[in-house]
Amino acid sequence: MPRIVREANATWQGNTARGSGMLSAASSTAFADLAFTLASRISIPEEKTSPEELLAAAHGGCFTMSLATELSKAGTPPTSLETRITVTMDEVEGKGHQIVHSQIEVRGEVPDCDEAAFAQAAEAADAGCPFSALIRGIATVGVSASLV
Amino acid sequence: MATDRTMTTTWHGSLLEGAGTIAAAESGAFGALDVTWASRAEEPNGKTSPEELIAAAHSACFSMALSHGLAQAGTPADRLDTSATVTFVPGEGITKVQLTVRGTVPGIDAETFAAAAEEAKVGCPVSKALASVPEITLDASLV
Repeated sequence: MPRIVREANATWQGNTARGSGMLSAASSTAFADLAFTLASRISIPEEKTSPEELLAAAHGGCFTMSLATELSKAGTPPTSLETRITVTMDEVEGKGHQIVHSQIEVRGEVPDCDEAAFAQAAEAADAGCPFSALIRGIATVGVSASLV
Repeated sequence: MATDRTMTTTWHGSLLEGAGTIAAAESGAFGALDVTWASRAEEPNGKTSPEELIAAAHSACFSMALSHGLAQAGTPADRLDTSATVTFVPGEGITKVQLTVRGTVPGIDAETFAAAAEEAKVGCPVSKALASVPEITLDASLV
């Protein structure tokens, strides 16, 4: 299989508490100059992104494509899927800040697919999604799936 | 205190013929982003992908951790430029992350900077979340 390579750049100026960063998508140029700060990461976002928000976006893209694959494989390609991902970072005693959980909530409109088959496809998508596989090393991943 | 960040993705159709949208960030930081399998696996053509978003998360997280480490050591950074490159092999997973950082840090030597960067690479929350990636490399130097 081909190797797929994607790059992003961050610039940080100043100290951690009062400094700020800028983030750009180098490979696609789909986004540029997104601001991030420590305060917006651990408190109110105030229109700034954070690593955890970007991981939630990455997990959503990855899981949803994986689920589209599973449903197509089962002969029931989806009309539409809507996936909501919440990534939780917490301070773990003795280990500092860690990503502790990613919660997947997916609602699907899938012709000829019943709830049981959809739930099974969602479990398989989670098992096959490269991002789920990675973070399961340190965090828990929860899946809740239902048809519209 | 726990911090939650939520994002929503919508997808229509099969993997190969379908297309998706990552909805505008709930933080308000960015608008909706289109995603497709072709732009993920072949040329981006202006569209982001999960791997690019992971690269963005990692470069931001590493930069903050390094700025924190340098400040703790009494040598705060003026500026850090970090790039993260994520390699994805379909069927195998994410196989490699390359971090490159160039720092402007008054009163520090190259060796101390490299040691601080190594610590950030190991300790930042995204690094810890990606610890099972087979290869994470670091190239750190002062400007």
